[in-house]
Amino acid sequence: MEKNKTSEDSIKILNRRSFIIIIFGAILSLLVSLRLFSLQVINFNFYKKKSVENKLSIKLTPPLRGDIYDSKKNLLAGSSSLYEFVVFKNLSKDYLDEIKKLDSLIKLKLNFGEISNQLKKYNEYSGFSLSRASWKQIVEFEKNKFLFNSIKIIESKKRYYPYQNFSQIIGYMGQPTQSSELYSKGVFHLERSYEKHLRGKPGKIFSEVNAKGKTIREISIEKSIKGNDLDLTLDLTLQNYAQSQLPSDKKGSIVVISVSDGSILSMNSNPTFDAQIFEDRENNKIKDLLNDDQKPLFNRAFSGFYPPGSVFKPISALVGLQRNLIDSKKEVFCKGHSSLGDRNYYCWKKKGHGKVNLRKAIKESCDVYFYELAKKTNIDDIASLSSNLGLNKEYDIGLSNIGKGLVPSKKWKKAFLDESWYQGETLITCIGQGYNQTSPLQLATLYSAILNGGKYPIPKIDKNVPTKFTGKLLNNEHQQIIINSLNAVVQEPRGTAHKLSISNPELVKIGGKTGTSQVIRIKESEREDDQYKSKEIEERFKDHSVFVGYAPYDKPKYIASVIIENGGSGSAVAAPIAHKVLDFAFKNNV
Amino acid sequence: MFREFKNILNINWIYIFIVFMIFWIGEINLYSAAGGSLDPWASNQLVRFLFFLPLFFLIIMLEPKFIFNFAELFLILVLIGLITTLIFGYTGMGATRWIRIAGFNLQVSEFTKIALVIFMAKYFHKLNSEKTIGLFKSILPLFISILFFILVAIQPDLGTAVIILALGLVVIFYAGIKIIYPLLSIGLILSISPILWTFLKPYQQNRIQIFLNPDLDPLGKGYHIIQSKIAIGSGGLKGNGFMEGSQSSLDFLPEKETDFVFAIFSEQFGFTGSILLILLFFIMFLIPVLKTYKLTQVFSKIILFVLSFKIFFEFLINISMTIGILPVVGVALPFMSYGGSSLLSNLIICALLLNFMSINEKKRMFS
Repeated sequence: MEKNKTSEDSIKILNRRSFIIIIFGAILSLLVSLRLFSLQVINFNFYKKKSVENKLSIKLTPPLRGDIYDSKKNLLAGSSSLYEFVVFKNLSKDYLDEIKKLDSLIKLKLNFGEISNQLKKYNEYSGFSLSRASWKQIVEFEKNKFLFNSIKIIESKKRYYPYQNFSQIIGYMGQPTQSSELYSKGVFHLERSYEKHLRGKPGKIFSEVNAKGKTIREISIEKSIKGNDLDLTLDLTLQNYAQSQLPSDKKGSIVVISVSDGSILSMNSNPTFDAQIFEDRENNKIKDLLNDDQKPLFNRAFSGFYPPGSVFKPISALVGLQRNLIDSKKEVFCKGHSSLGDRNYYCWKKKGHGKVNLRKAIKESCDVYFYELAKKTNIDDIASLSSNLGLNKEYDIGLSNIGKGLVPSKKWKKAFLDESWYQGETLITCIGQGYNQTSPLQLATLYSAILNGGKYPIPKIDKNVPTKFTGKLLNNEHQQIIINSLNAVVQEPRGTAHKLSISNPELVKIGGKTGTSQVIRIKESEREDDQYKSKEIEERFKDHSVFVGYAPYDKPKYIASVIIENGGSGSAVAAPIAHKVLDFAFKNNV
Repeated sequence: MFREFKNILNINWIYIFIVFMIFWIGEINLYSAAGGSLDPWASNQLVRFLFFLPLFFLIIMLEPKFIFNFAELFLILVLIGLITTLIFGYTGMGATRWIRIAGFNLQVSEFTKIALVIFMAKYFHKLNSEKTIGLFKSILPLFISILFFILVAIQPDLGTAVIILALGLVVIFYAGIKIIYPLLSIGLILSISPILWTFLKPYQQNRIQIFLNPDLDPLGKGYHIIQSKIAIGSGGLKGNGFMEGSQSSLDFLPEKETDFVFAIFSEQFGFTGSILLILLFFIMFLIPVLKTYKLTQVFSKIILFVLSFKIFFEFLINISMTIGILPVVGVALPFMSYGGSSLLSNLIICALLLNFMSINEKKRMFS
């Protein structure tokens, strides 16, 4: 009986313990249920979103980039097909061996270590581009195709630049620099500034993918939209012709613009480069280009700034006329130099021009006439008129590294050199030397301003930009005096560029102004003297040859602005080039 | 050795119905996990089930006395099995868990659980005269539990090892050890757990760290938990519907047919389905447990209670893993995870439960 009782007690304990364990199990179940409630009911939206993100893949397809045309719809930049060796990890386990095999068979010179590193992280269903494939390589590959299960040749697009003479305006494309950028983008000049316009809209392929990234089904496709085309004001034939006229052994630039609407018809710089090498990834050529001392990437037409030399003189003359500092009929005597204080300022013609009025001063480019004028001139009036006529300005037309240049003023000198202005500096500024810095494009615009009577069209390169005029009207009489003088430079005997009319009478008749831009500040007395002119002077210290001309002289349509670095005098080198280019533009009615 | 055939008619048909129903839910789940295909899991699992069914009924028909008498033999058999596994075992996924017997890969650790419970049931049955069990009398079962724990843990299979130890402790607790000892042990374990930590293999430490913060390794070890939670969470209240679970069909869930079958289930059938499944398992747990209150024999009480608890416990551990409240230690979901050993051992357990539930208890039945 006693034993039975303890046995019953023991059964009671078992039943009590059983109850405790059931409670424990029930509590665990409740905890699990609460957790499930939290996951599935409270945080449902969060996990639903995660689940959709998991399976939804958006693949972007690059859009076709807009084409760039010249004013007559000649293609200057387009897209062309290219072929690449692309490896797909899912197609063969031995993809690394196959890449090695391909490399040794076709000599792609792949950086194997880097490629295998990048491939490790790569989705196995997305192709990884190994290298571009040339036709020869494709043929070689096709012959041995059976060796490669994971490597395929895939077509894609690259930028195509048929004419290298436009590289310095159109620019080029660069590889994506951030992981968020999916394809190359314009990094220089118009390709860069018109990036948004040209780029287009990428297409999107929405698809359901599995955990390995394999597409299970495509849900929807948004087609890519081609970028907008860009029509330029440039003329293909003129651009090519002008380039051929630049001496190949000299640095220089020619800009041709239209008088009526400021359209840039051609804009050349020598030396130039071929933007195609960036697209073709010719790394050696790119390296050479970037290291070239001659700086072929530098477009002298708008990034090159030089003292304008005598080409600047019309501005001084206009200030003189506007301020009544000179009478166009009154003569000044040039004895070869002029003095201010204890300093002499020399005319390029050492023996002097004798009696000189304004017309003769421009036509024969007499410096003394302008020295005398400058003595009475306020430099700020020069600066202000220069700005009105297109100098000292940065044209926002989409070109990289377009500069502003400089026409000095008192304020400028105080701010930048912390010095007051000396009247002697006005003298050399008035003949276009000194602090003056202008680009060939600015000089072309200056002459456009003069020919248009002060209100001139802002230069443009995008054909679809409406023509906009700026500047203040000039006195008509003043304008006529200047234009007559500029015509005389070429058309009349003793004009500094009269030689043009004699040697090439069949070419279109032009007006214009020669200039010599000093490279170093040699002593005024040495300017243009025999020793300096001699060929023994080191090439890089030679003056730049400048000429700005327009044609036809009686009804100007085209303006050409030419600079030949270290070319010597303007009349000898730059002027004949400008004449031929203007003639070409005129005869071909560009 | 066998009972009379009429006993088979006395078995708890509701229980057997629930077991078959859960298995069938598992089959449907494996079918959907394979993207609507019987191949490779659902059909294999069904073949196994049908193959094991005769054994299942055979065990129901066994004399309970037979099981009582051979309790020590079963223990020795699994001990030999475990040692054989360690020496000649078949290695897969970095662990030596299986031995090949007659063309089957057998995971002896699964059967260890049963043998251990039967042995301990007999052990405590013989002590049933004692009101509460002191520490001294618990040393042998504790020692055996720890021995099996170690033999399985070094395979390594920490999940099964922990279950084995837990079952041993549950038997000791259920059998009536003085309440002070479990409380002391919990205190002791908590205080030495930092030292235990250093005994864990680096990958085990890693799993626990990643369990605590899955974002430590979202693409590696934390991936399982993250993807499983996404699958379950995205199921929502009502679920995505049968065969509509994208986490499953698009392979975002690794090990979806084994340890993570619950995620597949829950993604399709949502919170509602999950709660119903928990209820089903809870009822399945309670049916044998309720029977224990009518029994007076310690042996059958322990067998019924602890083996029934084993299935429910593994169920809870498994889904706790998939919802991120326990580390991923590799415990199968009874009747739903794909795998032969787990299915076989759980069928044996259910057969034993059915057997013991149908006992017409006589005094001194086991002695």
